[in-house]
Amino acid sequence: MSFLAPLFFAALAALAIPVLIHLIQREKKQVVRFPSLMFVQRVPYKSVRRRRIHNWLLLMVRLTALALIVLAFARPFLQRDDLDTAVGTGAREVVVLLDQSYSITYGDHWERARAAANNAINGLGPDDRASVVLFSSGAEIALRSATPGERQRLTAAVTAAKPAAGATRYAPALKVAGSILADSSLPRREVVLISDFQRVGWRGEEGARLPNGTTITPVAITGGTETPNVAVTGVSLARSTFSNQERVAVTAVVVNRGMASLRGSQLALEFGGRAIQSKPLDVEANSSTSVTFDPVTVAGTFMRGSVRAGDDALATDNVFHFVVSPAQPVRVIVIDRGGTGGGALYLTRALAIGDAPRFETVARQPDTLSDDDLRRASVVLLNDIAVPAALARRLQRFVEGGGGLFVAVGSRATWSQDVDVLPASVQAPVDRTRGDAARIGALEYGHPVFEPFRAPRSGDFAAARIYGYRTVMPTPDAQVLARFDGGAPALIERRIGAGRVLMWASTLDLSWNDFPLKPVYLPFVHRAAQYLAAYTEPSPWLTVGQVLDTSLGAVRSQPVSGVVLTPSGRRVAIDEEGAEVMELTEQGFYELRGGSGDAVSGVVASNVDTAESDLTAMDPKEIVAAATAGSDNGTQGGTAGLPPTPEAQERSQRLWWYVLFLGILLLGADTLISNRMSKT
Amino acid sequence: MSLLASHNPSAIPGARFMDPVVLARIGNLSLVSRAVVDGFINGLHKAPYFGASVDFAEHRGYVPGDDIRRVDWRVWARTDRYYVKEYEAESNMNFSVLLDVSKSMDYGSIGITKLDYARILTACLTNLVHHQRDRVGFVAFDEDIVEHVPPSAKHMETVLHVLDRIKPGRPGRLREPLHKLAEHFGRRGVLVVISDFYEDPETVVDAVTPLRFRGNDLVVFHVLDPAELDFGFSNASAFEDLESGDQIPVVPEAMRKEYISLVRAHVDALQQRFSEVRVDYTLLDTSKPLDHALFRFLGGREKKMRLR
Repeated sequence: MSFLAPLFFAALAALAIPVLIHLIQREKKQVVRFPSLMFVQRVPYKSVRRRRIHNWLLLMVRLTALALIVLAFARPFLQRDDLDTAVGTGAREVVVLLDQSYSITYGDHWERARAAANNAINGLGPDDRASVVLFSSGAEIALRSATPGERQRLTAAVTAAKPAAGATRYAPALKVAGSILADSSLPRREVVLISDFQRVGWRGEEGARLPNGTTITPVAITGGTETPNVAVTGVSLARSTFSNQERVAVTAVVVNRGMASLRGSQLALEFGGRAIQSKPLDVEANSSTSVTFDPVTVAGTFMRGSVRAGDDALATDNVFHFVVSPAQPVRVIVIDRGGTGGGALYLTRALAIGDAPRFETVARQPDTLSDDDLRRASVVLLNDIAVPAALARRLQRFVEGGGGLFVAVGSRATWSQDVDVLPASVQAPVDRTRGDAARIGALEYGHPVFEPFRAPRSGDFAAARIYGYRTVMPTPDAQVLARFDGGAPALIERRIGAGRVLMWASTLDLSWNDFPLKPVYLPFVHRAAQYLAAYTEPSPWLTVGQVLDTSLGAVRSQPVSGVVLTPSGRRVAIDEEGAEVMELTEQGFYELRGGSGDAVSGVVASNVDTAESDLTAMDPKEIVAAATAGSDNGTQGGTAGLPPTPEAQERSQRLWWYVLFLGILLLGADTLISNRMSKT
Repeated sequence: MSLLASHNPSAIPGARFMDPVVLARIGNLSLVSRAVVDGFINGLHKAPYFGASVDFAEHRGYVPGDDIRRVDWRVWARTDRYYVKEYEAESNMNFSVLLDVSKSMDYGSIGITKLDYARILTACLTNLVHHQRDRVGFVAFDEDIVEHVPPSAKHMETVLHVLDRIKPGRPGRLREPLHKLAEHFGRRGVLVVISDFYEDPETVVDAVTPLRFRGNDLVVFHVLDPAELDFGFSNASAFEDLESGDQIPVVPEAMRKEYISLVRAHVDALQQRFSEVRVDYTLLDTSKPLDHALFRFLGGREKKMRLR
């Protein structure tokens, strides 16, 4: 019990008042003159003592009444713990949280977990209601607030539950349980948390708070970690080209998180479900190793590869899936005035270097550019040419359709005024051959083109000397990415439709600058081309819980329709208006099929979160304490961190009414007693 | 004066049975005493009067020092032995009332103070004795002698006057004034001491006994208010001593029993001690009529005379 206004206890000094009155009251009352006190004096001692004993009752009543009134003004209120014990009876609202993350498949853990869930259900009282919530990385309500008559359904829900491929996350489960309990009207709330309590599943508080007065009963399913527990945590694909055939060498990382080392096992590489290579595997306890397989020819698109590491107590994480496809080159058309100039030499040479991605460069002249070229290309580079209006319109359509256009403006560059594609209007050239040459000054490092140069010593653009450039006037919707030292724009970007246009205010050859001779030239060209082509390296695999982008496999980011075939064989229809994304929930390969339902437009490998294979257990009290913050009694955690409602606050403080009432009642009794005493 | 007495001695029949409170309201001591005494005398026809006789009482052997005039020569002639004749009583004896007028006497819980009661008693006795033509005197004392009227046959009026005028003032003490008086009363007589005797029985007896030394007959009246006897207070109060002014908180019901037993023990002790020294002791309750005191007094006198 605590007090809102403990200062009022100073008023307890008023307790002295009745005592003083009792002490002095009688003597002041009246004086009886008596001839001689000779005999009276012989019995004074007893008389005084008896008188006090006579008034003890009255004194006590008065003192108690005063003390109670003072206590009432001190506003006593019960701590929440007291309230909890006060409401410790009645029907329960029980939420059974059953961990279905894949780590629960370790050994017999899953069977034990289900048995524990059934135990909790069988332990329900006749008036209790119960919910079953299955959780891994997310939480799913299997059955909500089943009435006492629905015990069979509860048991069935537990029986029907299967381990999922997700990782353990406690916070979403606790939040779901909290919402169920918050809606409940039953007086007692209880959460039965059945899990293997992996350390990796708990990241601290995460805002998971249970309602006031909730009891958490953790059921830990642990043990058996002394056996080897191997997990393939990742692969790296090293591509190479061998006699015009693309090959890939797979390197797998294997981690043993068990307490025993693994000897004499085999690591197998499978493609399309068939093992094609096998390597010996030895992993010490709590350590990792990497195994590199021989290169494999990439025969076709969407090759489904898997690395499988034997069999142990936790089998789910022993396999790792990935998808290998032949590398897709970025097609670039360089439009040059052709002939002797060789102005595009540096550009084509720069683009010819590199594997990730590979650039397939085609040189054209303005009049030889065919529509087929444009259809296949991702990026068009205009290297200081005069663009006729017809070409400009074709390029405009190309850009609006998602293509990328790079325009380098030198002395000859012109553009049709009718076609509004360029990010800036090109004006008079500036000659900086006399005096100091211009330098590239301010760069927009936040832009993807310049982002790799952001760190110090990652490329020095200022080393290039610019002897001439064109004055440009950026359009309102254009963004200036780089400026010359005089402040004039050097690189301007503009987005048109689905495509992007970059304008370089000088040349990309040596006619106006020595930029192509500088080290930053090649990465700059690569970045610009990648950016304009909107190139993203396809990920060989995803992790369960990530979102599957159904546009994957389409060349352009356009809405697709079709179906997704999950590893378990489920068909999920994806239409244009419906869900364009779906969460990966299973381990294996997801197939994306086109609208007809036959052609495979993409394959995505889905792997489990290998962090989950770390079975290191935590103390359940940590979760109990965090979810029932403010309570210190471990498993029987009482209160949650939710602030009490105003009604509850008022209820816990209403005590002072009763105390005050009792005090006044005692004062009334005091009046009665003293009246009676004075009458007798 | 004395209309009632002269014309009709029993004009107020039963006056002696009257409530002392009523008598006290009359105020005139002469009238009161006469009314009481006359009625009293009328009712006791055979009462032997005080020293009224000079009758022969007895012979006793002559001892050297006796007056030879009192030798009975006829007895000597007959028996050849010397006897001295003893007489019954002296005629015209002295009668004095010694009245305690200390502050404690000025207390009355029922409308009459102990002093007023004692005044009436004194007046009655004086009147009674004066009827016998005996000499009446009066002494008032507290811690010292306050008033002194020497015994004389003519002092009846003076005694009443002094008695009427006297006022209690100082605390009382028995020993000093009574010892002083014991030396003073040279001639044998009857001494009546009226007091409330708020002292130890030993002290009281020690103070009073010397009055007997000259052969005085000593009568002691112990006057107490009923409140002093039964302690009939109810409310717890502070009790203030009339003489010393001390105050003591008292819850009467709590201590009544012990108080009564103490007073009873005190009275008993006085009674016993006085009887040991052959002093008449009478306890008077101021709520009782005066005739009780007079009966006791005269009854006691008669017994003594018979003894002699």
